[in-house]
Amino acid sequence: MDRRALFLLGAAVVCAVLIPVTESEHQWVPIAMSIAYALLAMASWADARGRDRIDS
Amino acid sequence: MDTFAVVAVIGLALAFDFVNGFHDAANSIATVVSTRVLSPRLAVVWAAVFNFIAFLVFGTVVAATIATGVVDPDVLSIGVVFSGLVGAIGWNLTTFFLGLPTSSSHALVGGIAGAAVAKGGFDVLISSGLRKIGVFIVLSPLLGLTLAMVLTIGLMWAVHRYRNVDRLNRGFRVGQLFSAAAFSLGHGGNDAQKTMGVILAVLISSGHLPTGSDVPLWVVLSAHMAIGLGTLTGGWRIVKTMGSKITRLEPVGGMAAESAAAATLFFTSHAGIPVSTTHTITGAIVGVGATRRLSAVRWGVAGTVVWAWILTIPGAWLIATATYAIVGPLG
Repeated sequence: MDRRALFLLGAAVVCAVLIPVTESEHQWVPIAMSIAYALLAMASWADARGRDRIDS
Repeated sequence: MDTFAVVAVIGLALAFDFVNGFHDAANSIATVVSTRVLSPRLAVVWAAVFNFIAFLVFGTVVAATIATGVVDPDVLSIGVVFSGLVGAIGWNLTTFFLGLPTSSSHALVGGIAGAAVAKGGFDVLISSGLRKIGVFIVLSPLLGLTLAMVLTIGLMWAVHRYRNVDRLNRGFRVGQLFSAAAFSLGHGGNDAQKTMGVILAVLISSGHLPTGSDVPLWVVLSAHMAIGLGTLTGGWRIVKTMGSKITRLEPVGGMAAESAAAATLFFTSHAGIPVSTTHTITGAIVGVGATRRLSAVRWGVAGTVVWAWILTIPGAWLIATATYAIVGPLG
């Protein structure tokens, strides 16, 4: 797995951890960010995989 | 309460605001200068104007959070506010010499909380307010980072078939004028309100205003004027260094980073959450870099931001506690 995808996955986990401690009025922020980071991690992983295939 | 003491603490709060403008101006104009959209002098004027007119756009919810959402308003006295400001300024000066990218906002919260605890114990802390600020210390740079990544990817995707690169860059340079203005607006809106909150706390604690009062217009105008003058005075000296650090940003990246940071500041100002403008723009710049490759990011800078997260509130807290031990008996 490429380092960027791991970094983005880590950020998704940090946001997810913050969901229960965020006050209910703003809980949608870490939820949305966690989802966005997870999607970006998947996109980054797919991008790296595609590049590896082209290189090989 | 002695009117002279009230005026002196208000003066100190405005000085804190002035230094904030002086120090943070580079954040909003460095990319505009490095891409030669504006000359340094013109860029500083551009930022200062938008710092000042932010009072027309944003309310005063962040000010209310600082004045009544961090510690029990009953514990606030001239001595507590003075010690809190000394803690924030003292910590900012310490980190300035150590080269850490400090957050004036977090230093202010740490200072006020430290002085208030020194006076009334830990029971005076408002956990919901501190939790909100604490959560967004981590979330605001991450929010800037996500928005910048999404915006950069979206812009690249939208123009990837366009062959006239010169014309494209001209378009993004014009876009940078607007994104820098938006970031300066967000900076003025969020940071000037912190000073308003401190002044409001002083006026309420000294009996010049009843509890629950709104921020008076003269406080709003003087706080925005102080941050705008700070930007105008010092910004262009600092931007020469900052601009050279961020030259690797292309106009499209600069525009995306500033727009993402501005959107984050608009949201947090609207929600009444004091955040660090420096950390927000740093997160956004990291986001732009991460769209290319992870090694394009200056992880050293990102690492010092994390250190600043960890150290700022305890550092300002300690200085404020020590100051209150000296000035507390006076009021």
